[in-house]
Amino acid sequence: MSTRISWRKVSLEARLLLVGIPVLLWTMIPVYHLFLFAISSKDSATSGRLWPKEPTLQNFEIVFREQHFYLNHFWLQLGNSLLIALAVGALTLFVATCAAFAISRLKVAGGRTVMNLALFTYFIPAAFLAVPMYKTMGLYGLLNNQWALILAMVTIASPYCIWVLKQASDKLPLELDEAARIDGASPLQLFRLVYLPLMVPSLVAVGTYALLLAWNEYLYAFLLLSNDTDITLAVALGHFLSADDSPWELLMATGFLYALPPAAIYYAFKRYMVSGITAGAVKS
Amino acid sequence: MASVSFRDIRKSFGKIEVIHGIGFDIADGEFVVLVGPSGCGKSTLLRMLAGLEEITAGEIVIDSRVVNDLESKDRDIAMVFQSYALYPHMTVRENMGFSLRLRNADKATTDERVLRAAQILNLDQLLGRYPRELSGGQRQRVAMGRAIVRDPKVFLFDEPLSNLDAKLRVAMRAEIKALHQRLKTTTVYVTHDQIEAMTMADRIVVMHDGIVEQIGTPLELFDRPGNLFVAQFIGSPAMNVLPGTLRRGADGAYVEALGARWPVPSTASGSDGQAVSYGIRPGDLSLADSGIAAKVFVVEPTGAETELLVQVGDTQLIIVMHGRTSAQPDDTVHLGVAAAHAHVFDRASGRRLS
Repeated sequence: MSTRISWRKVSLEARLLLVGIPVLLWTMIPVYHLFLFAISSKDSATSGRLWPKEPTLQNFEIVFREQHFYLNHFWLQLGNSLLIALAVGALTLFVATCAAFAISRLKVAGGRTVMNLALFTYFIPAAFLAVPMYKTMGLYGLLNNQWALILAMVTIASPYCIWVLKQASDKLPLELDEAARIDGASPLQLFRLVYLPLMVPSLVAVGTYALLLAWNEYLYAFLLLSNDTDITLAVALGHFLSADDSPWELLMATGFLYALPPAAIYYAFKRYMVSGITAGAVKS
Repeated sequence: MASVSFRDIRKSFGKIEVIHGIGFDIADGEFVVLVGPSGCGKSTLLRMLAGLEEITAGEIVIDSRVVNDLESKDRDIAMVFQSYALYPHMTVRENMGFSLRLRNADKATTDERVLRAAQILNLDQLLGRYPRELSGGQRQRVAMGRAIVRDPKVFLFDEPLSNLDAKLRVAMRAEIKALHQRLKTTTVYVTHDQIEAMTMADRIVVMHDGIVEQIGTPLELFDRPGNLFVAQFIGSPAMNVLPGTLRRGADGAYVEALGARWPVPSTASGSDGQAVSYGIRPGDLSLADSGIAAKVFVVEPTGAETELLVQVGDTQLIIVMHGRTSAQPDDTVHLGVAAAHAHVFDRASGRRLS
């Protein structure tokens, strides 16, 4: 009996591996090529070898020292990206948490309608909304201002975040709110002392989502910002493609660097994204 | 500590009225149990007292102050929920001290009161633990601790023992009762379990379909149920009820049912020929040498007592007798009836005739 179960386990894992390994390779190959380009010299970059003859870190040095026309503002633009992503993450979190709390816990009249209307914006691809958004930001006089991009990204990220947080807050037992009310908590205290601590895993997930969305954004950043000193690194990297003989190895080295902060953020916050923090609140 | 009054309380959810005008008073320090089948409105009544539900009509008074428009937190009550509702991200100490923290009590006072409550409930070793690290009974005690730390005017319990296993339930029942005897705080306790009601209450309020059926001490309800519903709800196993006809002859009154004569107490009222329901508790029936004949159906010895399921005509009756019996299934036995403890109810209205 036990051998049969263990055989079953083995065959199940084997099947999972059979699926998993190709998927992993499929995902990793482009990243590997990116890395390969980044450590190759200009001449050998397109040689097609699986490992360069003379791996070099020179590309990174050029990037760090801003020694190329396209990379004149590398550090500034990296900072822009970081600032904008952090601002979008924080603002979206604030907006979405307040909205989800009001809709799910305070049961504000019409809350669900507002949420559904917000979600409705996803029926239209974000790319089609870019021009109206450009016009709107123009009306507010925010063009070429980083706030334009921040607000636009918050607008795009919020509906989904509200929805996710609302679903998560619906799962918190209502008795907790009632117990807190009887204990003497005002809605604000309930929010701060009971609701927020219990929502931490969802907040981290949602905040990371908004942050990465802004970090990776190209179209809106390209439209709303034009000064070389204002744009994000994603847009700056796009400029490489406008040249005839682009320095691919530099593009890839910068791209590789650009991918590091999200990876770091993901690993830093991963441990907070655990479920089960509410275990023991109520018997279910 | 405080008295509580319900004055013609009504509650509607939309167009449906679920509580139809309930009024009664709870004395200072009294332990009152609201009991009834699910859906009878007992929890809704408690939640209105707690300020968690709007009061559609009527007044609730705590300590001679109408609290209808007061927030929960201003009513000076503490509630223990069926699901415990402990804050999962706080330790036992923080859970119990939360209400004091919200009232900006200083740390020394909070610590002292939490520790005192913890000692009363044997929680002092667990103060640093999180709810998820506690057993069901311990969580229940923390929920109670959170309530007593406040030193509120009224304790509210909403089916607090329903989630515990049978053995623990009995233990916690005694613990809650002992706690009340020690603190003497006015307590309103909701349960659907009539044994909990019987064992814990100073007075029981039996509710059914949004009205109060009867209010009284446990033994009053047991000995003199005001109507058929209370008669069948209170007591375990439930009262035997037979449809019959009241007869008043030269040799006294009796009820004719299942082709036999069933004796009634001398106090029973009602007129000759009246359609009645005859009630007799399982413990008030016994095996006798002569009398109403019955066929034994099932014998259930429980050690100290024996439960007999017997059949008279096509109706089954339960007998609980002390000690043991030699009766076997299919034996024919004779029933002795403790006439003084029989109950007669008008069949149409269900009201007690006495």
